[in-house]
Amino acid sequence: MTIFLLILFGFLAGIVGGMGMGGGTVLVPLLSFLDLPQKTIQAINLVSFLPMCSVALIFHAKNRLVETKHVLWLIVPAIIFAVAGALVADVASNEILRLCFAVFLIAVGIWQLVLSVKFVVKQRKERRNSTPADTGVLNDEMPEQSVATKRQYDDTDN
Amino acid sequence: MNLTAKNKWLLLIFSALAGFVNGFLGGGGGVLIVTLLLAVVKLHQKHAQATALLVILPLTVVSAVVYLVRGNVDWEPTLWATLGVVVGGVVGALLLSKIKGNVAKIIFALVLVAGGVKMLF
Repeated sequence: MTIFLLILFGFLAGIVGGMGMGGGTVLVPLLSFLDLPQKTIQAINLVSFLPMCSVALIFHAKNRLVETKHVLWLIVPAIIFAVAGALVADVASNEILRLCFAVFLIAVGIWQLVLSVKFVVKQRKERRNSTPADTGVLNDEMPEQSVATKRQYDDTDN
Repeated sequence: MNLTAKNKWLLLIFSALAGFVNGFLGGGGGVLIVTLLLAVVKLHQKHAQATALLVILPLTVVSAVVYLVRGNVDWEPTLWATLGVVVGGVVGALLLSKIKGNVAKIIFALVLVAGGVKMLF
């Protein structure tokens, strides 16, 4: 039963992670249903993320969603402080880690919720203010597609 | 787009914070990286989510090595959960190119709050 739950929880978190939304933030609370120490859960999260992340990256690269410009500004400091964080976690107790994780999840969740609701409200307002001819331009990709379409037309004219 | 000095500092400081959180809590740094890519690098939602994986991969490798060296990895549950995560990861990656950005964000935020509350009790 535990093996089944481990695979099931992994599968559910994998879906979220594959979408690029930090599947770990889902896997850790799911695994806390099982009788495992917090450090073991966090290690599962880190290790299981590696193959999943590599596979998902290949898909995203094929879909041309990965931007490599400027990423070194994020990767270098993140790596250095990740080592520091992992060393601090090693000396912390499982109870403290679990509490920190819970507080982190709630804080990030509320923050993301406020951001996305604000975004939707803003989009609604823009839709209301725009002319009927503009209403199609709501999707993120639309401006790029419009340019591509325009180029197609230009090519046809030539 | 070129980065201003202020934006470079923002990236350095907040990615360091994301790295620390990811090492300390064994995950969760991705959320901060996605936000940085959206707010500072000005990527679209889907591009930010996909690019965040490229940032998180190397720092997860180094964190996992530290957990391994300090004896915090229990291989049996790790391998079963990893099996599920890999299959789910492929499904999620295929879904991302089809769903709308806002829907994904709101669902994700609700899942986070629910997960956090569950862990408190």
